[in-house]
Amino acid sequence: MLTLGVSSLAGLVIGGSATRANAATVAYSDTDILNFALNLEYLEANFYYLAAFGTTIDKANTASTAAGAPLITLAGTVGTAGTVSGGSKVPFTTIPVASYAIETAVEEGKHVQLLLTALGSSAVAQPAINLGTAFQTLATAAKIPGGSGFSPYASDATFLVGAYVFEDVGVTAYHGAASLLTVPANLVTAAGILAVEAYHAGLIRTTINYLDPTGATIAGYTNLISTLRASLSAAGLLGVAPGSYDANPDDFGLATVSVSLGGGTNATATRITDADATNVIAFARNTTQVLNIVTGGGAVSGTAQVSPAVGVFFPAGMNAGPNGFK
Amino acid sequence: MTNLSTFINSATSRRRFLAGAGASAGAVAALGITGCAGGTTSAPSNPTTPSTAVTDTDILNFALNLEYLEASFYLYAATGAGLQSSDTTAGSAATYQTVGTVTVGDAAAVPGLTAAQQQILNEIAFEEQAHVRFLRTALGTAAIPMPDIDLSFFGPLAVAATITTAATGSGSFNPFSSFDYFLVGAFIFEDVGVTAYSGAAPLISAAGVTAGYLTAAAGILAVEAYHAGYIRTSLTGRAIAAGSAAAYPYLGAANLVADLRATLTVGDSAAPSTSGSVETSLTLPTSLTTPSAIVAASASDAVGFSRTVNQVLHVVYGSPTVGIGKGGFFPNGVNSPLATTTA
Repeated sequence: MLTLGVSSLAGLVIGGSATRANAATVAYSDTDILNFALNLEYLEANFYYLAAFGTTIDKANTASTAAGAPLITLAGTVGTAGTVSGGSKVPFTTIPVASYAIETAVEEGKHVQLLLTALGSSAVAQPAINLGTAFQTLATAAKIPGGSGFSPYASDATFLVGAYVFEDVGVTAYHGAASLLTVPANLVTAAGILAVEAYHAGLIRTTINYLDPTGATIAGYTNLISTLRASLSAAGLLGVAPGSYDANPDDFGLATVSVSLGGGTNATATRITDADATNVIAFARNTTQVLNIVTGGGAVSGTAQVSPAVGVFFPAGMNAGPNGFK
Repeated sequence: MTNLSTFINSATSRRRFLAGAGASAGAVAALGITGCAGGTTSAPSNPTTPSTAVTDTDILNFALNLEYLEASFYLYAATGAGLQSSDTTAGSAATYQTVGTVTVGDAAAVPGLTAAQQQILNEIAFEEQAHVRFLRTALGTAAIPMPDIDLSFFGPLAVAATITTAATGSGSFNPFSSFDYFLVGAFIFEDVGVTAYSGAAPLISAAGVTAGYLTAAAGILAVEAYHAGYIRTSLTGRAIAAGSAAAYPYLGAANLVADLRATLTVGDSAAPSTSGSVETSLTLPTSLTTPSAIVAASASDAVGFSRTVNQVLHVVYGSPTVGIGKGGFFPNGVNSPLATTTA
């Protein structure tokens, strides 16, 4: 069940039936899609390993070993191997946040291992990843107060903001990929990883909401980040309308909103879930939208695609097979 | 497992839990070992596919049954009333035309909430209500009406899960009596919602994928996981704040629910997990170096679980028995051609 059928996929190409805007112009195989996910998992896993243990995924230390975090052998060979820069262990002071960081690190590490194993010789190498200055660039672009000095490794609170940057993006990326996968076993696995990313997102947003119920600090920052992501995502649509069960803008931070319950009683509700306000279905993004977010706008120039997309977290771009990623 | 089976047996003898399931002590005792409470000698090769073809409409309507249940639970908890009647009616072309009723039991607005807690309940209630409306709109005239729903089933379920008075303070288990009890009640549903959508996704036809049903289902799956993340984070966080498992018995109560779910669904021997371990118990982190266990996913590769239609039915019917079509939260079954468990 949890073995991906990648080895049987050679030559399979997605037709134009995808409902996602724009992606229909690019023919991605299941291998491509899983490699796209692997790039994102390299990014997420290294962030959490650095924050929780102070090491990258390919180097064990006492903390990572004690937590049972998988030591990743960087076996991917497709593309150009890069190095991970920036990042350091967060001096956690509260058990909830520290324990969540450790749990998430272990789970993202397992996702990397799963995809590496499934893709085998088709797996992309770990690309160059910037987990240091990239956060300051993004925080500045998002207009977070003191953004040029922002570090997700400074405290429990800033770590949560750093994690927030990634988790909802993971949800939308796997969601967008779901309808493109052709092998049922791959879909089941992708749906399972999608669920885990959404658990993480729910966890992060719940915790930020508890810590800053009025939105004065970190919960307020989530709206700045979501606004930036929505803007980058919209640019990634290249003028094409979003999908039928999607919406634009496609990202919302923590806030209170008015909702109608049952017979029409209006009530105030939180916004833990990142979804459209009417149907409450999580957002989906195509590869260009995701690329434009994680490269800080590197995937789009005006109304044209830029390939390879370079910037922010991926200073040399993602690693890809012969089709590249657009 | 033996202990759990014993507990279920004792619960069965006192309550109507498993009523109508032909639940003899022998049948239930067997489930912990063989996983085949119905005495089936061999499992069908693909128990998720009944003899007649499952249509996308069947799949969406099956999901709608679950959303009716979830929305009713959360709306009662948040407001003291359920879905408005216009959200429960039958589509003109639906196979089922009778609008069900909700057996309210103790269902009521949860008392004593802080403003922040009330807002959380409001959010989840609204979002499940939105899913009901979305599915009804997507199904159009084929939308099934709300089936009969029994919100008084929490009591028997808790007894079966051995959530005792001693475990959760005073009084019998009632998810509408406090925020912490509510979290345990919600815990019963959320992971099930996640796994049900995960299990249904590959069943959607190619035409359904083109029509966007898969994308919609995956998006609802994600929202269910956001909710599950909220519930599990809250239970864990409040346990950490309380300082010990003894000081916060609700964490343990949720794990008893997970144990019960695993026992109820283990009978589907051709399901994704034949061991029944589509559950991850919550833990109580005690230091800055111990991990939490918020996410429900496989220990080996951190992939979320999925449940078959049969496994979902076993949970919501509160019965491991093969061949029954109603019980538990759905006293007259779900409105679906898939209503009867086949594995």
